[in-house]
Amino acid sequence: MSSSRENREQVTTQTHSSRSVLGAHASRIQRLGSTLPFGDERHLAAHQWLVDEAYLLDAQAYEAWLDLLTEDIHYLMPVRVTTALGAGFDTSPGMAHFDEDKYSLSRRVARFLTEHAWTEDPPSRLRHHLSNVRTFATPDEEHLIVESATMLFRNRGDVRESSFISAGREDLLRRGPMPDGSGWQLARRTIMVDESVMRMQNLAIFL
Amino acid sequence: MTDQSAVLADVRRGMIPAHIYNDQEIFTLEKERIFSRAWVFVAHESEIARAGDYVVRRVLDDSFIVTRDEAGEIRAHFNMCLHRGMQVCRAEMGNASHFRCPYHGWSYRNDGRIVGLPFHQDAYGGEAGFKRKGQRLLPAPNLDSHNGMIFISLDPDALPLRDFLGDFAFYLDYYTKQSPSGIEMRGPQRWRVKANWKIGAENFAGDMYHTPQTHTSVVEIGLFREPKAEKRKDGCTYWAGNGGGTTYKLPDGDLEERLSYVGYPQEMIERMKTSWSAEQCRVIGQDGFMISAASVFPNLSFVHNWPRVADSDDVLPFISVRQWQPISENETEILSWFAVDAEAPEEFKALSYKAYLMCFGSTGMFEQDDVENWVSLTNTAAGSMARRLRLNSRMGILADDTEVIPALTAEQFAGPGSAHVGYSEYNQRELLARWADHLERPVTAAAALHVGTTGVGEDRRAIATRNGADASDDPPALEHVPSEDAAEVTGA
Ligand code: FES
Ligand SMILES: [Fe+2]
Repeated sequence: MSSSRENREQVTTQTHSSRSVLGAHASRIQRLGSTLPFGDERHLAAHQWLVDEAYLLDAQAYEAWLDLLTEDIHYLMPVRVTTALGAGFDTSPGMAHFDEDKYSLSRRVARFLTEHAWTEDPPSRLRHHLSNVRTFATPDEEHLIVESATMLFRNRGDVRESSFISAGREDLLRRGPMPDGSGWQLARRTIMVDESVMRMQNLAIFL
Repeated sequence: MTDQSAVLADVRRGMIPAHIYNDQEIFTLEKERIFSRAWVFVAHESEIARAGDYVVRRVLDDSFIVTRDEAGEIRAHFNMCLHRGMQVCRAEMGNASHFRCPYHGWSYRNDGRIVGLPFHQDAYGGEAGFKRKGQRLLPAPNLDSHNGMIFISLDPDALPLRDFLGDFAFYLDYYTKQSPSGIEMRGPQRWRVKANWKIGAENFAGDMYHTPQTHTSVVEIGLFREPKAEKRKDGCTYWAGNGGGTTYKLPDGDLEERLSYVGYPQEMIERMKTSWSAEQCRVIGQDGFMISAASVFPNLSFVHNWPRVADSDDVLPFISVRQWQPISENETEILSWFAVDAEAPEEFKALSYKAYLMCFGSTGMFEQDDVENWVSLTNTAAGSMARRLRLNSRMGILADDTEVIPALTAEQFAGPGSAHVGYSEYNQRELLARWADHLERPVTAAAALHVGTTGVGEDRRAIATRNGADASDDPPALEHVPSEDAAEVTGA
């Protein structure tokens, strides 16, 4: 799936994935130029992809969600840390909440599908609110970069306090998986959560 | 305050008043009588490897800057400006030679000494009005480390850390001394859960009984090959000094075969063989027990497990260190670190980290189910019915206190302390017995410290501080070989 252009990019560019512990395998394709116009077909396609994905995640339709991910997916959620202005970093070196490949994600999904994943029995009520979507072209036609903001609302049981996660995301979408080249799959995602101390009891969710 | 002696008596006979897991008065006592004197873990030396590196960590409400100064000494400064009490450092980590208070600009060297006091002459009349010389950020009353694990105690008269750990130090080596270089620690992931802090500490100390039920799903998906019900009870729990933990019984083999069975490569096994004592090797090699979870009183825990991290039969071991930081009677902040032998091959480190993320921490699949239980338990413990309930925590002993299964003999288990095969709650009782001992014993009020003046009622340490930092009265710090890298000063 890599053009010669991509190979050249891989030599020269750094991404959150390439700097993470387990993301060396991830595509290094990066954005080109400024935001695509909101009327651009590519933006419309990317936006729709994200909205459709949000519905799958709300419904915990994780098998269907897994099909939206490429085989070389890198799914990264760094741990944010508070550092002095000018420190040059704001994520915890060598640590993340998620630093996943397709195998580890598939295990997480498989666990939810057992009848003994107690943390989600009874299931949480989830709502992934999606906004601030903007799309960028890349050096090849096969890829788009999409940025978005997401706010996950999660409620469990009847009287427990609800919890939230606010995060920004940068996604790399790749054309496919249909034989005619239609549709898009997620090849790389970086989730920049807006808290250093999470206020959710666990991350038995996806963002 | 309510007399808690009946509660403590119940706890000591293994009958737990359910409300201790969500009781404001109990929590107030815990703050005063446990966390103001026990040794509390704050950081590992590898987190502050270079001069000037610092992390900010708390002991309940008290924030400390844990830093390596320019001379390589490790220090813990109370994170409060000596002037009007502003929090001096508001970052979580970084590298700094100085800390400047944002309020009025007093500044402190990373060894704690005050170096900048704007308008000292104009505002105070110089040294005559405010004795700047020798003033330093308030040091943690006690600071010590073991295998690079840095602890502080708010009690200036605390026992030495090594005595506090006691024979648990034997088991600590399995987690933190697999080679002469010890571990490096990464993280922590931090998150808050609506659960009482004691529940996690008890669970990690000895709850082998929950594994087959709570963690059914991770066995089903092939993540873990061990915790089948019948396997877990073949392991033993042990308690020694101020901590205890659980083990798995491994299949037949010698030391090398068993370390290899849980996924350690040969070169790491060679280093373990030279880093561990004959007895430490014997527990694994001859007795066949591999350490798993453990807790040190009051709120530090460890995990060692060996899941599958790819679609193959190979397993990969990981170590995690974690702290149950109490926020209130019904809320705990979990700090969960990944730890790995500093000399391990890079590929091992990466896969071990993957194993950690899949199993424990904020996203770990074991952890997800544990926390759900603890939150529900805490919630249920808040009401009046819970006050009537004495939970039976006597698993492993009969009504007359004799053991269901006798303790392992020295021939069967080479480690110190006492160990029992099978499901039991010996360790939960040990942990809560220490809890009861602390709650029973009143604390003496700490002496006040007066900043910049010769006040009445100052204690010896304050005077020493005021007179300057001569060697004998230097505040607690850890002697260190200065690091080779020059400090990069970024400010804080
Ligand atoms: S409070 Fe720190 S300088 Fe005034
Ligand atoms: Fe557990």
